[in-house]
Amino acid sequence: MSPVTPPKPSPFAALLELPGNVWKSIFRNPLPSNDLERSATSFTNFFLHIHPVKVHKNSLRPTYTFGLGLVSFFLFVILIVTGILLMFYYVPSTTQAYDRMLDLRGTVAFGTLLRNMHRWSAHAMVAVVFLHLCRVFLTGSYKKPREFNWVVGVVLFLLTLFMSFTGYLLPWDQLAFWAITVGTAIAGYAPIVGKDMQFLLMGGTSVGQEALLRFYVLHVAVLPSVLILAIAIHFWRIRKDGGLSRPEDADPTINLEAIPAVKASVLEPKKTYGLQGLVRGPLTKVGQIPDNTVFSWPNLFLAELFTFVVTLSAILIVSLLFNAPLEEPVNALHPPNPAKAPWYFLGLQEMVSYSAFWGGIGVPTIFVLLLLGTPYLDRGPKGVGKWFSRDRLLANTIFITFVVANIIFVIIGTFFRGANWSFVTPW
Amino acid sequence: MRLALAIGTFFILVIHGIVFYNQFGHPWERNQNTYFDQAKVLAKTDTEKAALAARRPRIEQIVVSNFGETRVDRCTTCHIAADDPRFSSHAEPVKTHPYSATLGDYQKDGKWERRHKFAEFGCTVCHDGQGRGLDAEYSHGRDEYWPDPLLGFTTQENWRKDFAPKLKGKEYMEANCAQCHTDTAFAGTALVTRGRVLFFATNCYGCHRIEGLSDGTIGPDLSDVGRKWKLDYLWGRIADPKSILATSIMPKFNLKDEDIKALVVFLKSRKGRNFAETEIQRFKVKLTGGAELVQATIKPVQINPKEMVKQGEKLVLDRACTACHKLGERDGGIAPDLSQEGLIKDSEWIYDHFKNPKSTMPDSIMPAFRFTDDEFKAMTAYLVTLKGVTAPPAGEAIYKNYCLRCHGEKGDGHGPIAEHLDPYPRDLTKAGFMNSKPEARLVNSVRNGVAGTSMPAWGKLLNEEQAKAVLSYVQSSFTKEPRREVKPHAIPEKNPVATSKESADRGEALFVNRCAGCHGKKGDGKGPNSLDILPKPRNLRNSFFVNSVDDKRLFDSIEYGVQGTAMPSWIDYGLTHNDVGDLVNFIRSINQKPKGGQHAAAIQ
Repeated sequence: MSPVTPPKPSPFAALLELPGNVWKSIFRNPLPSNDLERSATSFTNFFLHIHPVKVHKNSLRPTYTFGLGLVSFFLFVILIVTGILLMFYYVPSTTQAYDRMLDLRGTVAFGTLLRNMHRWSAHAMVAVVFLHLCRVFLTGSYKKPREFNWVVGVVLFLLTLFMSFTGYLLPWDQLAFWAITVGTAIAGYAPIVGKDMQFLLMGGTSVGQEALLRFYVLHVAVLPSVLILAIAIHFWRIRKDGGLSRPEDADPTINLEAIPAVKASVLEPKKTYGLQGLVRGPLTKVGQIPDNTVFSWPNLFLAELFTFVVTLSAILIVSLLFNAPLEEPVNALHPPNPAKAPWYFLGLQEMVSYSAFWGGIGVPTIFVLLLLGTPYLDRGPKGVGKWFSRDRLLANTIFITFVVANIIFVIIGTFFRGANWSFVTPW
Repeated sequence: MRLALAIGTFFILVIHGIVFYNQFGHPWERNQNTYFDQAKVLAKTDTEKAALAARRPRIEQIVVSNFGETRVDRCTTCHIAADDPRFSSHAEPVKTHPYSATLGDYQKDGKWERRHKFAEFGCTVCHDGQGRGLDAEYSHGRDEYWPDPLLGFTTQENWRKDFAPKLKGKEYMEANCAQCHTDTAFAGTALVTRGRVLFFATNCYGCHRIEGLSDGTIGPDLSDVGRKWKLDYLWGRIADPKSILATSIMPKFNLKDEDIKALVVFLKSRKGRNFAETEIQRFKVKLTGGAELVQATIKPVQINPKEMVKQGEKLVLDRACTACHKLGERDGGIAPDLSQEGLIKDSEWIYDHFKNPKSTMPDSIMPAFRFTDDEFKAMTAYLVTLKGVTAPPAGEAIYKNYCLRCHGEKGDGHGPIAEHLDPYPRDLTKAGFMNSKPEARLVNSVRNGVAGTSMPAWGKLLNEEQAKAVLSYVQSSFTKEPRREVKPHAIPEKNPVATSKESADRGEALFVNRCAGCHGKKGDGKGPNSLDILPKPRNLRNSFFVNSVDDKRLFDSIEYGVQGTAMPSWIDYGLTHNDVGDLVNFIRSINQKPKGGQHAAAIQ
C-alpha cells in the first residue's frame, strides 16, 4: 500500500474549484445525506446551532403553536431592518420630523414602502405577541419547568407595547402627538409616582421637543437592546427547559426495569468522565428507546423558513395596499375630538373613561401581576400541552374573561367612540 | 410544504418587482422626458439640442429660507417648464408660469422678467400646497390631512359640496400676497382690504380679537386663524356657524357670497405673523393695541343733524345690529327685541349702553363697538323713535308679544335668547317665588322693570290693567297654583346697625363665611356652588339692582329667604337682625358708585 501522491494542484483547477471551496469554507457540511450529517448541520452552523439536533413531533404540529412565537420574532427582525433604514432619514426634532415624513412619503426611494412595512409590522407584532401569550397560557405551557420563561415572555410583551408606544410619537403628526398626550396622561393616573413618571417620560409637562427626543432614544436604542437581550434569554430558556411543552402522552413511557440501573462510575473506575457520564437521570437513552423526535434538518428548518416567507409576504402585501397614516402636522392648540391613544391602549382609555385610576392603572396592574404570578399560583402539574385542557378550566376561564373583556373594550374604544367620547355607531 | 414555500418565495419576488417598478416609473420622470423632447424640437442651436439630449430626469428643488421656516419646493420637478417662456401655450404640467404685469413682471429687451423669481421665492410661499411631495395627490394637498392645499385651485374630498366650488379662483391667493404686502390699501390685495373693511363694518371685531386690529373677547381669537384652518372651514363658520359647531353662539350674518369670500381671504391672510413684520413692529402694535387702524379702515359716516334718524336707521340696519337683535322682520335670535326700544328705554340709557354696554347692565355680553360719538348719537336718535305697535289687551297676546322671547313658551325662563342673558330670566313656573310676592311687586317689576337686568320697564306700553292681565295669564298658564296669603315677616323697619366701616367689615367676615359659597367671595354671584343653581345666585355687585331695592327687601330676602330659589331663610341658621344689618351694610358698601351716566351728558 503505497501512499497516494496528491496530484499536483494546477492553478487552473484551483480557480475551477474556487466557488466550491469558498462554499465549503463557509458551510462545513455538505447537504446532509445521513443522520450524522443532519445533526452536524444543526450544530456546526452559527445561525442554526440554537436549535436542537432533533425536535419533538409535537412541536412541529402547526395547530399546536401556529408558529406565533416565530412570527413575532420575524416581525421583530423586519422591524429592526426597516427601522435602521428609516433612521438614516429621520431627525428627532419638532421642526424637522414631520418634513422627514413627507420626504419619506414623496421623495426617498422606497421610503413609503419602508415606512409602511415598519408601521404595519409594529402593529402586527403587538397583536401576534399577544396571541402568542394566549397560546402559551391556553396550552398550560407556563408550568414547571417553564415558569421563568413565562415571566420573561410577559416582560417581552410589555416591552413590545412600550416599544410600539414610543415609536408612535416619532412621525410628529396630530395622530402621534395626541395619542402620546393621552397615553402619557394615563400613566399620570398612577398613585404617588404617576405625575413624576409622566414628567420623566415627557421631559416636561407637555409633549414637546424633549419628549420627542426621549421617545426617540428609547425607541431606537434603549428598548431594542433590552428587547434583544430578553429575546436571547427567552430562546435560551426554551432549550434549557426541554423544548416546547407537550402533553405527557406524547412520549412513550420508558420501562426502567428492563435496563439495570448502573452508575457510570461502576463501568470504568479509573476513567475520567466526559460530559456524557455526568448527565443527570438514570441513563443515556440514545439509540435504545423509541422516541417521537425527528431531525431538525430539514423538518424544523423548512417549517421556520415557511413561517418567515408567509410573514414577509403578508407584511409586503399589506404595505403595498395600505399606506401608513400621516395626519396634519402637530398643532398643540387644536386637539382632535376625540383624541385617541394607539389602538392597543384604547381598551385602557375606554376603561379610563369610567374611572381614571381603575381603568388606567388598577385593572392593568392587576392583570399584569396576575400574568406574572400565574405559574407560581397555578401549581397543578396537569393539563400541560393541550389546548383548553379540562384540568385547567378555572385558570383558562379567568384568562379568557380578561382577554375577551379587553378586546371588547378595545373594539368599543376604536369604533364606537366619537366626539367627547360619546357612544357612536360606526355605520 | 415545499410547493407552498416555492409559491411564497415567488410571491415575495413578484411584490419586490412591483415595488421596484413603482419606484422607477415616476410620473414626474415622464413629464421631464416630455419636456426634453419638446424642447429639443424648439431648440435653435445644436449645442442647445446636445445639452437637452444629455439631460436625464432628476428631482429639481428650490430651497428658500427667506420666508419663515426653510421651505423645500420640489414643484419644478413636474412643472419643469415653469420658467421656459416657449411653453406658454402648452398644457399643464409642462407649461410656462404666466407672466403678469399685476404681479410686477416687466419686459426688458422684449423678454419678460419676473418680479418674484422662483429661485428666490419658491412656489408654496404664494400657492401653498406641499412643496416636498413629488406626487400630484400629495403635492397639491388633495389629501385631507394637508393643512394648506393649493390656494384657490385644490379643494379636498371632505369639503362641503355646496361650499367647495366657491373656494376656487386665484383671487384666494391674495391671502398669501398679504403676508408680505401688508399695506392696508395695497392694490394687489383688494379682497384682503375689502375683508378688513367688512371685518369692522359687520362688527366682527366686537367679539373677535385679531392682534393689532381688535380686541373682542366673546369669540375665538382670530390672530392666526389663517394658519389653523382651511378655506372651507372659514367659509362654513361664517356662512353657517352652527353647522360646524352646534354650540356656537355666533350669529348667522346674512352676507352675500362676495362678502363672505372677502372675509375668508382676509381671515386666511391672518397667520399670526407676517413675513414683512419685524419684532419691533410687532411690539409697537402690541403697545398701541392698533386702535387707530379701525378708524383708518372704515370711514365714519358724516352725521347731518337734520337727518340723524335716517342715518341712524341706515347704520343700525347696515352694521349688523340685527345679527343679534330683533328689529321688525330681522331677527338674530341672540339679543333683545328693539322694535319698541323708544318706549322701554330713554336716549341716555341707550347712548350709555352703546358707549359701554356694561355701564348700564353689568353682565351684558354686548361688545363695546367702535363707532364715532356722532354715529352713536344718530343710532340713539333712531332707536328712540321706535314705538312698536299698540299693546293688545289680552294677557296671552301680551305675553307672546313681549315676554316670550326671554321667559319662553312654557314660562320656565328658557326663552330663545335666555342663554345669552345674565341674570337669567325668571322661571315663572316656580310657584314658590311667584306666590310669595305680593301682586303689587310683580306689577311693579313689569311696569318699571328690574334695574340692572334685561327686564325693561314696560310702563309706557302696558297700563296697570294690561300688566295685571298678563300676570293673571302667567298665573293661570305657568304658575298654576293659587296665590297664597303671604304672612307678614317680622323684619325691622329700618337697618338697626348704623353704617360704619366696622359694621361693613363684620358684614364682610360674615359674608365670606355664610354667603360666599353661592354668591362668591367677591359677591359677584359666581361662588363655587353657583353652577348647580337655577335661578343663579344674585350678582351683588350689580349696583343698579342693589341700589334699586330698599333695606327692607334685603332684610326680608336674607332673613326669610327667597322662595322658589336656593336662598335659605337665614333666621333659621342663627343670624340676628344685627348680623343681617352688618351684611346689608357690607353689600351697600361694595355698591357705592353706580357706573353709567358718564356718557349721558353728551346726548343733551
